[in-house]
Amino acid sequence: MKNSTFLLIIMVPLMAWSLCACANTASVARIHPEAVQGLPNCTECHTDSWSALNHQAPDFMIKHKIYAGSKFACTSCHQESFCSDCHAHKEEIKPNDKYFNSPERSLPHRGDYLSQHKIDGRINPASCFKCHGRQNNERCITCHR
Amino acid sequence: MTSVNYYEKGGDVLISHQEKKSRSIWINLLVMAGMVTAAWATLPAKPLMAADYAISGESNTILRMKTTIDGKDLYPLYEYLRFSVVSKEQDGSAISLHLGGWGRVDLGDKSSRNDHADGDLQFGYLSYQGARNNLVVNAGRQFVVEGVAAQRLDGLYARSDLAAGFAAAAYAGSPVVTEPNLTADDFVGGARVTHSDKKYYTLGISALWSLAGGSRYREEGGVDLWLRPITQVDITGSSSYNSITDGWMEHAYTASFAPIENLRLFADLSRINYSDYFYRVTTSALVFDPLTNGIDPNERLLTLGGGGSYTVLKNITVAADYRHYDYDIARAANYYGGKVTYWVPESFGAGFSVHRMDGNDARLEYLESRLYAMKKLGKATVTLDFIDVNYDNPARMNDVENALAVVVAGSYEFDKNLQLGASVDYSHNPFFDHELKGFVKLTYLFDMNRSAEGGTQSEK
Repeated sequence: MKNSTFLLIIMVPLMAWSLCACANTASVARIHPEAVQGLPNCTECHTDSWSALNHQAPDFMIKHKIYAGSKFACTSCHQESFCSDCHAHKEEIKPNDKYFNSPERSLPHRGDYLSQHKIDGRINPASCFKCHGRQNNERCITCHR
Repeated sequence: MTSVNYYEKGGDVLISHQEKKSRSIWINLLVMAGMVTAAWATLPAKPLMAADYAISGESNTILRMKTTIDGKDLYPLYEYLRFSVVSKEQDGSAISLHLGGWGRVDLGDKSSRNDHADGDLQFGYLSYQGARNNLVVNAGRQFVVEGVAAQRLDGLYARSDLAAGFAAAAYAGSPVVTEPNLTADDFVGGARVTHSDKKYYTLGISALWSLAGGSRYREEGGVDLWLRPITQVDITGSSSYNSITDGWMEHAYTASFAPIENLRLFADLSRINYSDYFYRVTTSALVFDPLTNGIDPNERLLTLGGGGSYTVLKNITVAADYRHYDYDIARAANYYGGKVTYWVPESFGAGFSVHRMDGNDARLEYLESRLYAMKKLGKATVTLDFIDVNYDNPARMNDVENALAVVVAGSYEFDKNLQLGASVDYSHNPFFDHELKGFVKLTYLFDMNRSAEGGTQSEK
């Protein structure tokens, strides 16, 4: 092993450990201290950055990808299965069917989606790609051969 | 672009993946069976658990009923199960195990192309969460969301806050792909570094690499941001670059402004380059060809949207939205409309919306309306959802001018852990004169907190 490689193997973890040790920030609560029901408006309690997470906001759905970059915060309230309900790599039940008694939620594929998907696919196929481009597309081949 | 080489490789690849899939189904079903056994085994073990363990789980048994276009009667029965064990240490850190998956058996005709039974392990990982620095280390099947990555992988993930407002995350593993998994990638890795000010911003830079048989498969880089310059303003966005095609895949930015508590204005902008964005797809539905699906593979889409919502009275909100779709090749389209909602949490809610699509194709001209309502009656909840789409050019929609769907649903909570729900879905649409679908769902929650933790994870 070259000396430079050996130094790299030693130095990189050491540097990472040093940076972690210097940070010394308190972790976000592993479980949200207050039980939350339905779609919360985080501004009701939070005044810091978490106040932006107003789940009732009409643009929350489009922004949630960026917020999910802080997934350790999402897990304070959400189980991993909540992500999988939509972002599955293999799924046979539509999210709006799983949440059939929550019509207020912004969930894709409501109504006659067999007809509607042709329209959504034409107008903005990127909206399909995020969930079906490289995963969860087993059923597409039924028609799209 | 070499995205769908399933069709080029021929039968050998197909057989190989069918065999792989068959084995995978049985492995997944075995894992599911193991999870059920483990979950139920923990119930009598309750008194033996140490003080700082928490066990939680949820079982959803679902029966769907429908008849297909070709006359098959489908009665797939599903079991969705999630299970978590968390051990909270004295120093505030925690070690946890999370498992989730589903299995399906067809009680009627086959509901998929292959077997009467199928299943999948959606996630299964061991996690360490540190008491300091938001340190997270996960090992196993997991969903990683870090900048350009929204990737499910079998592998390792770690993130931590670093000094001076920096944080870093890294991951590596094997991408979780389903059939048609074809000649997809077999290794994926990536990283993201962010700098944050708790009050004002988070800026991130990220990269993702994947390999197939040692060759470059995907190489993406990007920046992301979350800005809060003042309390009332929230800006998010990202740009991603495909370094194999040498082009920007997407720019997507949104901004919202809430000058007063009951008013929120928002706007968004996105630019998508199809040839860079739809790269290495595994479905022919997203392989574009003007002759087959009318979409040019070199198309570029610019969307500009905006709107606002205003809470007129407590629980009553009105909202309006507009989105303009502009293409380099196809003709532009506009989508606009409004919505009124009345919502009293855990009691009653209703909403009505109308949207108009003026598109670049006869199929993209329609008026869409939706009316929904939810009412809680003691332990029971009833909901109604009505969606109507009126097409300007029925000739393009199998001569159906008006497509409608009505969903009537109800659920009953026997106690806080057990709920039974069902829905009936009727629709008249371009494929069916009359279509009737049924759905029954039995939910059982089992949570055993062995410590005096504060709240509960109320959301699934």
